[in-house]
Amino acid sequence: MNNVRDVGIVGLGKMGILHGGIVNALPNCRVKAVCEKEKFVVKMAQRAMPKDVSYYDDCASMMENENLEAVFITTPINQHVPVIGEVVKAKPDVSLFVEKPLAESANSARLACEATAKLRGVHMVGFQKRYSPIYQHAKRIIENESIGDLMFFRAHSYSSDVVREGKSWRSKKGIGGVLLDLAPHLLDLLLWFFGDIESISAVRRSLYSKEVEDYAYASFKFKSTLTGHIDTCWSVRGFRLPEIMIEIYGRNGNILLSDDMIKVELAESNGSRGTQVLHKQSFDNSVPFLLDEPEYTKEDVSFLDGISRGSTPVPDFVEAAKVNVLIERIIEAASEES
Amino acid sequence: MTKIKNILIGDNAFIGVSHLSHSKARETLQRLDAEKIVEVISAARSCGANGFTFTVHPTNLQVLKELIGSQSLNGSFMLYPTLPYAAGYVRTMTEKGVVGTLAEMFGQVSILDRAKLVLEGGVQSLAGNPIGVMRSYVNYELARIPKGAAIRSVLLHDVVTDLAVSYRSADLIQSYIENIRNKWHATPGFVTRNFSKFIEFFNQMGWNLRDVLVMTPFNRVGFQMNPSKEACEVSLSKLEGGKVIAMSIMAAGYLTLEDALDYISKLQNLDGITIGVSTPKHATETFARLKSL
Repeated sequence: MNNVRDVGIVGLGKMGILHGGIVNALPNCRVKAVCEKEKFVVKMAQRAMPKDVSYYDDCASMMENENLEAVFITTPINQHVPVIGEVVKAKPDVSLFVEKPLAESANSARLACEATAKLRGVHMVGFQKRYSPIYQHAKRIIENESIGDLMFFRAHSYSSDVVREGKSWRSKKGIGGVLLDLAPHLLDLLLWFFGDIESISAVRRSLYSKEVEDYAYASFKFKSTLTGHIDTCWSVRGFRLPEIMIEIYGRNGNILLSDDMIKVELAESNGSRGTQVLHKQSFDNSVPFLLDEPEYTKEDVSFLDGISRGSTPVPDFVEAAKVNVLIERIIEAASEES
Repeated sequence: MTKIKNILIGDNAFIGVSHLSHSKARETLQRLDAEKIVEVISAARSCGANGFTFTVHPTNLQVLKELIGSQSLNGSFMLYPTLPYAAGYVRTMTEKGVVGTLAEMFGQVSILDRAKLVLEGGVQSLAGNPIGVMRSYVNYELARIPKGAAIRSVLLHDVVTDLAVSYRSADLIQSYIENIRNKWHATPGFVTRNFSKFIEFFNQMGWNLRDVLVMTPFNRVGFQMNPSKEACEVSLSKLEGGKVIAMSIMAAGYLTLEDALDYISKLQNLDGITIGVSTPKHATETFARLKSL
C-alpha cells in the first residue's frame, strides 16, 4: 500500500485499544505493529485485529523490524519514559504520542523532555480535554477577559472507579492513585487556563486503596494572584462516567463549566445579568471516526497533522510535564500538612 | 414522508445516562425505581410504543420481570436488548486491567459454554478466542432476560460494534450475526455512532444489510453523527433494504420534540425511532404525539 502511515502501539490496554481503533479507522493510516508483554492479550488481539499487524514483546525489536512513522505509548505510566528512551534510541525520526500523564513523577517527566532533544519527529501527550469545544470556549472567554479580572475558582473531578480495593496498576504505589489517574485532566485544564502556580496547600486521603490516595484536596495561588481550590476523588458513588466541574468567578461575571456544558453569566452595563448556556450539542463535534468521546479522535488527528506539517501538537512533552511537577508539589504540600 | 412503523422507548433515563448533563441523569436515577419505570413504560405502551431498547443492566432486568408479570405483552411489545453492558466493563478495566476484565466476563459464562469453548479449540485457545468469549458472554446476558416477551433484535453495543469496524474484525461480526440468528432467532442488530463507516464496512465485506438492524443517531444538529450529519443522511438515503432505528433524535434532550420530529419526518428509510422518557406524563405526551405522525 502506498502513502499509508504505519503506526505502532506500545501497551494494548484500554487506551491502547482506543487509540489503535481510531488510528486504524482514519484514512491512510493503520496499526502495523503492537508491543504487548501480556501473552493473553496478544492472543486475543491476533483474532480481533487485522491480520497484517505484527506483535512484539519488546519495544526495541518492534522498532528494529518495522518502519513506523508514529508510536502511541499507552503502557502503565511508569513505563512511559523507558519506552520513550528505547523508541527514540532506535529511531529518532519517529513521532511519539504518550497517553496522559507523561510520567509517574516530575523527575521521569524531565527525562522524557530531555529525550526529545534527540527526537526529530513530533511529540504529544493525550490531554484530550483541550480538544473539547466547551473547554476551548472557556479558554477564549478567560483570555478575552469578558468576565473581567478573575477573582477565584473552585473545581472538582469525581468518578466511581474505585469503590473497593483495586487490583490494576492504577492502585499501585508510585504509579497509581487519584492524583495520577483522574486528576491530571483537571490539573492540565487549570494550568492551561490560568498559567503557573506559586504556592499550594493540600490534603491526601486513602479511602479504599492500601497503597495510594483515593481523595485529594488542594488550594492554589497562581502567579497571576488568582486563588482557588480543587477536590478530586475516584470513590464517589453515582458517577457512571468521570465528571469535571469548574466554577470561575470574575469581577464582571462567572463561568460554570463541565464536560457537558458551559454557562456564562455576565453583568450587563444596565445592571442586569445576561446568561448564555451552551451544551456540547451546540457545537459541531463530528469526527472522522468516533470511539468514546470525539476529543480522542481530535487529538489523534492533531497529532497526525502535526507529523505531516512538522508542527508541534498541543500539549507537547514540555507542557505536559508541568502536570507531573504540579502533582508532585501537591503531594509534597500534603505531606507537610499531615 | 414514510410512516414510521416502530416507536420504541429507550432506557437511558432508567439507568442514569444523559448526554446533556451527568448531574441531571443522577437526579432522575434517584427518583426512579423499577416500579416507577414500569409505570412509565405502561404509559408509553398505552400511547403506541411498541418496543423497548435497553442495555442488560440489573435495573432493566428487574423492570422486565415486573412488566412481564403485570401485563400481557402479546407480541405487541418487542424487546431490543443492547449488550454487553459497556459502562460496567469500562469501569472494570480501570479497576482490573484488560486481563482482569476478560477473566471476569469469562467467569460469568456458564460452565457448559465454557466447556464448549474448550472443546472448540483446546484449553490453549481459550485465552486466544475473543470471538468465542464474546459469543458465550452474549448468550449469558441474553439468558438473563426474563421470558415472556418477544425479542425482535439483539443489538451489539456501539463500543464493540465501532471497535470491530475500526479493526475490521469481520470474524467477530459474522460470528455475532450467526449466533443471534441461529440460537436466538432474532434479527442481529448493531448500535453505531459511525453510521457511514459501518455501512461502508458491511458493503465491503459483501454482507447483506437487509438481514440486520442498525440503531444510530439522527438529529437536526448532527449530534454523534459521524463523520458528519450530511454523510449519514446520504448513507441512509442510499440504503436499499436494511432496518435503521434512529436514536438521539432530540440530541439527548437538547432539541424539542417538535424540532426533532420536523427533522426525522423528512428522512427516508427509517424503520423506527427510539426515545427516552422519565415520567408517565412525559411518556403519554411524547408517544401520543409520535403516534399522530
